[in-house]
Amino acid sequence: MDTATSFALIAPELLLAVSSLLLVLAAAWGGDKAARPVTILAVSALFGAGLLLWPVLHLGKVGPETWAFGDLLRADAFAGFAKALIYLAAIGCLVVTPSWFDRMKAMKPEYPVLVLLATLGMSLMVSASDLLTLYLGLELNSLAAYVLAAYLRNDSKSAEAGLKYFVLGALASGILLYGMSLLYGFTGTTSFAGIREALSGEMSNGMLFGVIFVLAGLAFKIAAVPFHMWTPDVYEGAPTPVTTFFATAPKVAAVALTARVALDAFGGQVDAWRQVVIFAALASIVVGALGAIGQNNLKRLLAYSSINNVGFILIGLAAASVAGASAMFVYLAIYVAMSLGSFVALMMLHDEDGRALETFDDIAGLSTKRPALAWCLLALMFSLAGIPPLLGFWGKFVVFQAAVEANLVALAAIGIAASVIGAFYYIKFIKVMFFDAASPATVADSTRAHWAVLGITTLIVSPLGYFLTRSFGDLGDKAASALFLLP
Amino acid sequence: MIQTIAFYLFAVLMIASAVFVITARNPVHSVLWLILAFFNAAGLMVLVGAEFIAMLLVIVYVGAVAVLFLFVVMMLDIDFAELRAGFIKNFPLGIAIAMVLLAELVLGIGAYQAGALQLGTPDGLAAPMADRSNIESLGALMYGRYLILFEVAGMILLVAMVGAIVLTHRPPKSARASQNISRQVARRPEDAVVMKQPTVGQGVEL
Amino acid sequence: MSSTQILLIVFLPLLAAIIAGLGNRALGNTAAKSITTGALFASCLMSWPIFLGFLNGSLQETVVPVLKWVESGSLTFDWALRVDTLTAVMLVVITSVSALVHLYSWGYMDEDPDQPRFFAYLSLFTFAMLMLVTADNLVQMFFGWEGVGLASYLLIGFWFRKPSANKAAIKAFVVNRVGDLGFMLGIFGTYLVFQTTSIPDILKMAPGMSGSTIGFLGYRVATMDVLCILLFIGAMGKSAQLGLHTWLPDAMEGPTPVSALIHAATMVTAGVFMVCRLSPMFETAPVALSMVVFVGAATCFFAATIGTTQWDIKRVIAYSTCSQLGYMFFAAGVGAYGAAMFHLFTHAFFKALLFLGAGSVIHAMHHEQDMRYYGGLRKHIPLTFWAMLLGTLAITGLGVYHLKLGFAGFWSKDAIIEVAFARGTDLATFAFWMGVIAALLTSFYSWRLMFLTFWGKPRWIESEHIQHSVHKTPEQAGEDTTGGYHPHESPLPMLIPLGVLSVGAVLAGQVFAPQFLDSAAFWAGSIFYNENLIHRMHAVPYLVKYAAFIVMVLGFLGAWYAYIRNPSIPAKFVEQFRLVHQFVYNKWYFDELYNVLFVKPAFWLGRIFWVKGDKGLIDRFGPDGAAALVVQGAALAKKVQSGYLYSYALIMLLGLVAAITWVLV
Repeated sequence: MDTATSFALIAPELLLAVSSLLLVLAAAWGGDKAARPVTILAVSALFGAGLLLWPVLHLGKVGPETWAFGDLLRADAFAGFAKALIYLAAIGCLVVTPSWFDRMKAMKPEYPVLVLLATLGMSLMVSASDLLTLYLGLELNSLAAYVLAAYLRNDSKSAEAGLKYFVLGALASGILLYGMSLLYGFTGTTSFAGIREALSGEMSNGMLFGVIFVLAGLAFKIAAVPFHMWTPDVYEGAPTPVTTFFATAPKVAAVALTARVALDAFGGQVDAWRQVVIFAALASIVVGALGAIGQNNLKRLLAYSSINNVGFILIGLAAASVAGASAMFVYLAIYVAMSLGSFVALMMLHDEDGRALETFDDIAGLSTKRPALAWCLLALMFSLAGIPPLLGFWGKFVVFQAAVEANLVALAAIGIAASVIGAFYYIKFIKVMFFDAASPATVADSTRAHWAVLGITTLIVSPLGYFLTRSFGDLGDKAASALFLLP
Repeated sequence: MIQTIAFYLFAVLMIASAVFVITARNPVHSVLWLILAFFNAAGLMVLVGAEFIAMLLVIVYVGAVAVLFLFVVMMLDIDFAELRAGFIKNFPLGIAIAMVLLAELVLGIGAYQAGALQLGTPDGLAAPMADRSNIESLGALMYGRYLILFEVAGMILLVAMVGAIVLTHRPPKSARASQNISRQVARRPEDAVVMKQPTVGQGVEL
Repeated sequence: MSSTQILLIVFLPLLAAIIAGLGNRALGNTAAKSITTGALFASCLMSWPIFLGFLNGSLQETVVPVLKWVESGSLTFDWALRVDTLTAVMLVVITSVSALVHLYSWGYMDEDPDQPRFFAYLSLFTFAMLMLVTADNLVQMFFGWEGVGLASYLLIGFWFRKPSANKAAIKAFVVNRVGDLGFMLGIFGTYLVFQTTSIPDILKMAPGMSGSTIGFLGYRVATMDVLCILLFIGAMGKSAQLGLHTWLPDAMEGPTPVSALIHAATMVTAGVFMVCRLSPMFETAPVALSMVVFVGAATCFFAATIGTTQWDIKRVIAYSTCSQLGYMFFAAGVGAYGAAMFHLFTHAFFKALLFLGAGSVIHAMHHEQDMRYYGGLRKHIPLTFWAMLLGTLAITGLGVYHLKLGFAGFWSKDAIIEVAFARGTDLATFAFWMGVIAALLTSFYSWRLMFLTFWGKPRWIESEHIQHSVHKTPEQAGEDTTGGYHPHESPLPMLIPLGVLSVGAVLAGQVFAPQFLDSAAFWAGSIFYNENLIHRMHAVPYLVKYAAFIVMVLGFLGAWYAYIRNPSIPAKFVEQFRLVHQFVYNKWYFDELYNVLFVKPAFWLGRIFWVKGDKGLIDRFGPDGAAALVVQGAALAKKVQSGYLYSYALIMLLGLVAAITWVLV
């Protein structure tokens, strides 16, 4: 395969890379005044990159024709699906950002550039078919993320969040690298295809160690228990737009990457890692639910909620089947919408002076003050709790269905039982908003951008979202087939 | 024979200096021990024929990273005694976990009997390089097969640069601009004032 | 008699109930009342031709299939409406009384805010009752049985803001459940034995089964006796027979039209109807029949004694109903099902008349129900007085055998007393004596009611209701014991039903006695007809034939003497026989007995299950335990999330080591 074809395959990444380089220059020259134009251009770049994904998604491409640079990257339907989600999430996060930072006069043009670079890293992550690509993509994304977390450098919480994320991220990177070096040492290759082949026979303990270390490193990125400890602190400390970003796009990238590594590179040795994944899934569901119950801070609560959701996604991974992978992606798509919507709603909660209202006490009686916002939150929370007829129920349903089909009935049963605990705090939201006496805090008006994103995500999770289930399911199936190299 | 002696010398020295990095009381000493560890690692690299990596270790890690560490440690006034207090508290558990992990690695992989080790390549070394020097083959890979990844690494450095600027660059600002009226309004007496009843000769504890 | 006609008779009330019930306030009072009342009158008008057709023998029994219902293995039954002579009798009774009660309620419930609901309930009740009497199989009968129970519950508790009404409704429901359990077991048993629930099939096969035995509670017992006793327990519950009667007096908490329709004329007679419907089956069960006779006779006497002591006008009539139902049962028990049905038929008219008359009195007296505060009403509400007088003459059974002339009660009740004598068995003789004594008491309490209400001096001012109305205390009123209150005659919608029912109370016996009592052709096999017994009934000595008349006169004289001639007598009597009076006045202490025997232990047991079982076991280890566990888990999760980097790193490494250890081991 010649270099030109390879470049054509990574056209979206190239677009992102080139535009981020140009925007860095624009930011350097334009100063803070350029923040809005740069944001708009970054959104356009993401949009353009998304458009470039169309052929891959539409045709459901798979196999050697999608392998770029001698199988360092794969631009197949799976990567396409993940990238589409990532770009959409990034666009959503960027759209709502400027007006939030404007409240504290902290909007700078570097912010969209960093988001763009992080998105580039995620693109590489989900296309990676080599340990080296995997690591570089991951680090590109992580490094940008550390900076974003500490973006409000004068805010001690934000700085603390950045530092914690960085230190723990470095530890996770170390674990990941150690695993990768073990894998390389025992298989003699870094490519996923090579590792799969090498693992297909009898597995030595060294290989097993490598597999577990790599998965542990990835578990940190998706914030699965017990590698979740950073999540509440970082989500709470980081500026809300950054938290929104963390909870959506990088989550998709990390989950997709984990799926690719587990099902492709380690796909021949499912039994070796399945029990670990099952444990992580159940632990995530339970810890995510229990941890959230004691929280008063809404951002922290949603952080636990994201841990909880990762648990459900991992159930799909544990199934290790086409149906399971497809269910994962469907869940992921719904999760992104729910998560984006709820964080945007949080962003909209601030008083006239721009002080964020982010505790339960602040939103008491919200339904009387801002009924539309309260009803949107109601839909989102019921959806997160997985209550029909909202779309969140469908996500949980397909995941559990896949688990049952893969003979993991006990896992599905425990997962369903544990999701009841989670319903407690989602419904607490509704109780506080609709039934408690109104708090004295006034809630200021929101900008149109916020309303637009909230409205769209609410529409998606509403029962109307079931019209999307066919195309979601179809795309999910294509992506899952690509992952298993099925035409 | 001489190679074996050199290997054990470098290996033992490296492990020992790594232990001292952790245990040294003076942080400056820790960094110096770290430099020694890097040197020994470079020596090991020379032994397996990776002279380019060895040079990289010396130039980049010893020359740049470690010296940077030294500057940071000396410039920042960090109270290491206090940090260590927390460290000591968790020390036994940390050691226990480390021991378990070590035991598993050693026993699991079978490192104690080098003969049984099953590495990806027949002799445990990298693929043989046909008539090329270390640098040449590395260069061929980096600018050939892994060109795209090399570029990505460049992007990572760009992010690091942009990030450093974003987090540290302070444009001149007037004092008024940083006034946060909402925070001032939201401040309550109970957050700011503490009532105390001092007794004679006791002092007050805040 | 077309099938459309039958369907319309049964389903028009349902349709009206649905429209009025769902339309409720949106529909408005007048529309809801018109629809339900109109539907009932239509039903009624269509029923009479059927009855008359059976009367002159021009109609045959008909079954109208409606819908398939259940088909499961050998268990099959459908919705089907069966009309034969027995059903036709019930049809006219139900639709006529119901239509009149609907009309009556226009006046009686005029000021009530919930009229559509009331009329919807009434119509729903009528539909359920019609389903019961047209049932072709036991299951459909049970459907109607429960339907009338439901409607009765709703109507007793119609004024649901009144705690006593709620209690009464619940009591009626719960006591009926005891009977229903028997009925259900009876149905199950019948299906077990006969492999069908179709009534005609069962009746056809029943004679063949007599003499067979079945294992029941570990004993071998006669099959038919067990089945019939179980079914009869159901009938006892619904018809308020001794033991399961306690709900009926309390049911008077409902509006008076309800008492007239449900708790006098129709629903409470469902038990009698059921025994008659299944009479060929009961005839094969001698033990069960003995039980029917005994329970009927005992109820007849027992309820009459209580009736003599009560002060509440509706309660007197309620106990009277209970007593009259006893007559019907022992008539059925001795084998005179025709006489039982005949008494049911005449009783419906005069008892509905009495209740509606009492309602009219209550209406006039500003909802005062205590007879001690009545008196001298004859002149104020003359039309009501005449109607009540005719009703009283009917229930006491005024009539002379040799003239072949008498009120409705004379024909039916005297026939029952005679037939009991004619039967000649020990138990039947016991029933005869009970019947005669009850007739004496009936006459006494009926005239007592009349005298207290319509004769004597007004004692109205003692009543709190009247005091509220005229805003005076007895002291303020002074000599004027009316308190200046002027009772007013009821409006026309209430008087018309009184008139129509008066005609029924006077003539029903005279006109229909030959067919009901003496004509096997009339019944056409719809009930077991004992020709021989009827002949013997006509041949009893004159003394027996006049026994009822004599005791009726005695009762009248007693009441006259005690309440008109010398009103101090009752107080003296009470003084003298304090214990007896207390015993009877407190309804033989049945409620208290049940309270000690069943209610208290049930509460005790319930509390044990609640405290020990539900709270201590299920809640503790179920919901509450899980919740506590979750709270503890949340606290733990919060504690682990300390905020210190090194502890986070430690947990990550712990997780890693745990994973490695897990896969390695």
